[in-house]
Amino acid sequence: MWPIPESPFFRKSCSPALILLTFLLLGQSAAAADTNSLDDAILVLVDRVAAIPDLHGPLRLEFATGDGVAASPGKTWQESFKKELEARHLGLTEEPSAPPLRVALTATPTQWILVASVRSSDHDEVRLVSLPRASIRLPAMPAAPLRIERQLVFESPERILDASSLWNGSEGGIVLLAYRNGQLTALQTDRAGAVKQLIPILAADPQPSRDPRGELSAQGTDVEVLLPAKTCSFGWASHSEVKCRVVKPVWRATTVLTPPCDPAGWKIVTDGRDWAVPEMFQVVPDSSAREGSAAILSELPGPILNVNAEQNPASALVVTRNLHSGDYEVYRITLACGN
Amino acid sequence: MELHVASVSLDPRDWRVGSTAAAEDERLATLIYDRLVTLDDYGRFQPALAAEWSHDAAEKNWQFKLRPGVKFSNGSLLTSSDVAKALQGLLPPPLQIIPGDNNLTIRSSRPVPDLLEQLASGRYFVFRKNPDGTLLGTGPFYLAENIPAQPAEANPAALKPAHLKFRANEEAWAGRPFVDTVEVTLGAPGLRQILDLQVGRADLVEIAPDLVRKARQDNLRVWRSAPATLLALRFDNSQHAASDDRLREAIDLALDRDTMANVLLQREAQPATALLPQWLTGYAFIFGSPMNLNRAREIRAALPSNEAGTAEPLRLRVDAPGDVMKLLGERVAVNARQANLAVQVTPHAAQANPPASPNPGSVAAGLHLVAWHYDSLSPRAELEALVSQLYQKDAFDTFPAYADPDKLYAEERRLLEQRRLLPLIALPDYVGIGPAVRNWSPAPWGEWRLADVWLEASESTTSGAPGESSGTNPKDRAPGVRP
Repeated sequence: MWPIPESPFFRKSCSPALILLTFLLLGQSAAAADTNSLDDAILVLVDRVAAIPDLHGPLRLEFATGDGVAASPGKTWQESFKKELEARHLGLTEEPSAPPLRVALTATPTQWILVASVRSSDHDEVRLVSLPRASIRLPAMPAAPLRIERQLVFESPERILDASSLWNGSEGGIVLLAYRNGQLTALQTDRAGAVKQLIPILAADPQPSRDPRGELSAQGTDVEVLLPAKTCSFGWASHSEVKCRVVKPVWRATTVLTPPCDPAGWKIVTDGRDWAVPEMFQVVPDSSAREGSAAILSELPGPILNVNAEQNPASALVVTRNLHSGDYEVYRITLACGN
Repeated sequence: MELHVASVSLDPRDWRVGSTAAAEDERLATLIYDRLVTLDDYGRFQPALAAEWSHDAAEKNWQFKLRPGVKFSNGSLLTSSDVAKALQGLLPPPLQIIPGDNNLTIRSSRPVPDLLEQLASGRYFVFRKNPDGTLLGTGPFYLAENIPAQPAEANPAALKPAHLKFRANEEAWAGRPFVDTVEVTLGAPGLRQILDLQVGRADLVEIAPDLVRKARQDNLRVWRSAPATLLALRFDNSQHAASDDRLREAIDLALDRDTMANVLLQREAQPATALLPQWLTGYAFIFGSPMNLNRAREIRAALPSNEAGTAEPLRLRVDAPGDVMKLLGERVAVNARQANLAVQVTPHAAQANPPASPNPGSVAAGLHLVAWHYDSLSPRAELEALVSQLYQKDAFDTFPAYADPDKLYAEERRLLEQRRLLPLIALPDYVGIGPAVRNWSPAPWGEWRLADVWLEASESTTSGAPGESSGTNPKDRAPGVRP
């Protein structure tokens, strides 16, 4: 019998039920839990520094930078570290002659290592705290320019091929076509991003690919999935069997957004030449007569993998892979009028 | 693609851990083999040949469930016995592998919390050796041609470089790679590689550190990894003076690592004061530069007058090829001289022209300039391997069994304080990338991911059979994103 399974995303042992629950809540719960992990690490390190025998302040706090010290997740942790030191009455000063307390937070391939080094008596005292690398999330991308409104509606470490709005409009959730544990699956989420229903698309039996393609469209409770050589359909409500048939796929055409103030429409242009670099989301006037008009740009955290129009003609769902975190993300992009 | 080395071995059991040659072997092996697990750029282990894994509370017993239906490139099924046979010859002896029914147990007498880090890196590939000696893998490519170096037809005195051709494995479990073929030329000189990249005869070339500046000046696209190779001085008791703590300290204090990295290597290297790099441990920055020439001179003045380094020179043998190594050896001698210590450089055998002696290896040398290529994603395993290869046997009798960073730091500090191995500089790997290459997304620690690379057909000027080395841009086919 197998012991407790360990998925790549949950290194420490945990129950299958917990894994499933965590997956279902992934979109909402991860950020808060991860922030606590770094906070805990800071507390542990500060306690260990404060416990160094014969350590007398005031100390000059230095945060190490430069070659080899990886980019850290923002500077908030530095403020927290300083605050916790002060709370333990370890005097701090900016006097250059004061003994330095050198601190660094570095990403190794699998861990974050938080290090403090200080001279005490006649020798160096070093304290280290480690935490799993995946437990710290990098800060969100800066807000998008005003004319393009961008909202993160779902994220997952597992591959997302496409996203579609639930076109009935009442619940406001989305449908996703994604790989879950290596299996092509359709997922339905509610407005808050929590997964409500999963349907593995076993009948599709897709050939493994480094460039898996798929599109889905949802009309009410009916879903159609378009794959390279077949189309599959099923219904959420009836739990009906997934039925597939062989077709020559006709992929989605360019998505055009039509804001209320410009009925001529703007088409979404993607560069699409390289998955290793972040992509600029841009919309340009749809009419060739207006080609000289400026494009509207918004920087995404990774390459654009798919775009799907929504019921609202001014918005679309965009699937991207965040190159900072490795997660797949779905954004709702809305072309808003005004500035 | 063009690599520096003149020959490669694709059998991981033949690789010498830590050698730069093994790093090249590993680079090509990733084309044809898979590992049980991989590590992504975000610190998350990803399933590869193992679909899932678990361990007991003590982290001594690890179980891996194999991905079903995986085939070798000849179409035969991968079994747990294949995995056990491949890994048992590679993993250190405390680890025992027991194959089961489509699963695998790895047992150890001591905890191995870093087993996944080990299995996701280095030589821990899964392969099958056929009775005829050929090697099979499950990876994205298979070896289709292997033409060793041979005399050129026009000029038999010159060697035609070795050439390997890897073809796409259509049945690869992770999906077919984007490119059809990877052609590899071995042993091309550095300047020739840059030229080949410029004129489109190659899409990827390794660039030696001393040629990086030229490549940049020529507006070539150059990628650099995290520091991947440590260049260090190793003391050897075969010259008695090397066992003197004071002499070793004097040399350590005399070394000007900043000049080596920033002037000799034109900022294409980093001064190294730790055995393991910052990116692997997170604490290397703590070990500051010990340089103190005045103190070095004081120690030298107190040394016996008949000591090597004073009365007779301390011999420094350069143990790895390359112009950089030679330059560095000479720089060490200059630094030593500034502290009134005599160091005589013996070049690497391949570069001794005329040879420094009939058999350079027969001359007792108290100092060796060595290169160590980081190989493991586990800092503990890396330090253990480095110590076992470069230190005297007694140095690792008390090696820590745990991957705890505090203990690892303490151990590395202890080793550095012995001054048996003095880190000098750390070199990244440099790669010149052709204009047609897309989705070049290697791991930060240097592992290439050629199966995910494609070539922009319109810009490709690669020579060779048309269509063979050109890939397909998947975004041209991606739904919903075409303008």
